[in-house]
Amino acid sequence: MECCRVTHSGAGAGEPVIVVRGVSVSFGSKAVLNTINLDVCRGEILVLLGGSGSGKTTLLKQILGLMKPDRGSIYINGVDITCCTSAELIAVRRRLGVAFQSAALFNSLSVEENVAMPLHELTELADSTISLMVWIKLKAVGLTDAARLYPRELSGGMRKRAAIARAIAMDPEILVFDEPSAGLDPIVAAGLDDLIVFLKRTLGMTILVVTHALESAFRIADRIAMLDHGHLIAVGTKDEFQASTLPHIRQFLERKSDFRAAEGNFASAYLQEFMHEH
Amino acid sequence: MSTVDRAFGFTSLHRVGVSVIRWAEDIGALTLQLWAAIWKIPRVLPVIGKRRRWTDAVRQMLAIGVSALPMVSIMSLCLGFVVALEGAAELRRFGGLQYVVDLVVIGFTRELAALITGIAVSGRSASAIAAEVGTMLVTEEMDTLRVMGLNPIEFTLAPKFLGALITIPCLAILSTLCGIFSGYFFLAFSIDMNFLVYSREVLESILLRDVWLTLIKSVVFATIIVQVGYLAGLRASGEPESVGRATTIAVVRSTFLVIVADLAATSFFYLMGWSAAG
Repeated sequence: MECCRVTHSGAGAGEPVIVVRGVSVSFGSKAVLNTINLDVCRGEILVLLGGSGSGKTTLLKQILGLMKPDRGSIYINGVDITCCTSAELIAVRRRLGVAFQSAALFNSLSVEENVAMPLHELTELADSTISLMVWIKLKAVGLTDAARLYPRELSGGMRKRAAIARAIAMDPEILVFDEPSAGLDPIVAAGLDDLIVFLKRTLGMTILVVTHALESAFRIADRIAMLDHGHLIAVGTKDEFQASTLPHIRQFLERKSDFRAAEGNFASAYLQEFMHEH
Repeated sequence: MSTVDRAFGFTSLHRVGVSVIRWAEDIGALTLQLWAAIWKIPRVLPVIGKRRRWTDAVRQMLAIGVSALPMVSIMSLCLGFVVALEGAAELRRFGGLQYVVDLVVIGFTRELAALITGIAVSGRSASAIAAEVGTMLVTEEMDTLRVMGLNPIEFTLAPKFLGALITIPCLAILSTLCGIFSGYFFLAFSIDMNFLVYSREVLESILLRDVWLTLIKSVVFATIIVQVGYLAGLRASGEPESVGRATTIAVVRSTFLVIVADLAATSFFYLMGWSAAG
């Protein structure tokens, strides 16, 4: 594999921050990602949309450097994380904040300790400075009242907010969200969507959101990329997406199932007929 | 020779091969993990390491050592009484009832204290460690640590390892004391032996060298329990029921390895001439 460094010197809106080039991954003989090419530009919210099993979580793990692709390269701020040294990878990760699907808060620590943890571990700041920074981050996500609670005492939405506060604790340039609205009721999910847009507007972060939730994708995205069975089938703005005639995108937008009943099975044939009639 | 027989022969050979490869893999992983953990121990020590790691290590000492105190002491009291009782029944026939003291003292200092501690802690802590690590894996806490640029070995394994290395030898000493006291209890009731006489007998038969051997053994057992428990936890994958399986595997393997290591250590000391009766 060729190893090279692409350098993007200087900051400027629109320049790509995450560059995925020709990434392929397979588990055994099953191809999960096929030659994915994707750019995430500075200051935008890119939503990676895809159904279950489309390979979106695998792509996310590649971008975070938790798994290595079989082929291809991923550049974050110009550093190829598929073949850099571990010191370089750590440097890249310090400018990256992640909120995982399950929130992944440390259960033995309270909310404020969870948010303070990266600051305590990775910086030499004084405790008083850290507690001020923690308060600011908790204020940003609206969780100052719950600072002393433990993760098990929080609701699903509060947990996600706490995870976001921890993700922004180090003031990262790039924020990554894995399924932010999974398992939440529509009101709480909409609240999280607004929070994501708020973070982009106020802190100017580049945000990558991986989700299957259509409503939230349209609510927050500057651009949408769609994965289907390991292929990146479309990248474009919201309007381009809504106007698209690609069959899979139409199917996704119109929530049509691809359930096909087995032939020769009376019950499922009956079911199919029933569904056809109604 | 039918094809079924041949197919069976192939599959059983295949199965043996697969399990041999798995064992070899586990031994390799254990060695690498142990090596990494040893290098991270200085980071946990009080003055030269990080304060937070040491706090973690103290918490682990409470979980692994202090909360095992009642169990280990009661088990040792029972076992000491049983050894004295069984020994007395035989030794009385030769008129050598005073040798019961030697039996209990030598039995506990050389062998039983470390073994009973190893088995008790293996049952309590190997499973607890596997469950904790497995849960952290399932809830993406391990991924969070890695994405933050923090080392999971330093954070989760090293404090447990240090905690076990400090507390398990202490438990073994406690177990020795309980066993010896239980021997006195038996003799005081059966032949009205005076405590001073018993103490003098104990001091005559106890050897500092044997105490050292017990301490070395208990350090080996501590290593086995923590490392095997941690690796079993890491092998939990994705679904929640794998955590349950991992805890069972952790207890079975660590108890098995504690007994095998006990045999190996005892034979080694014997061959080196360190444990011949003085």
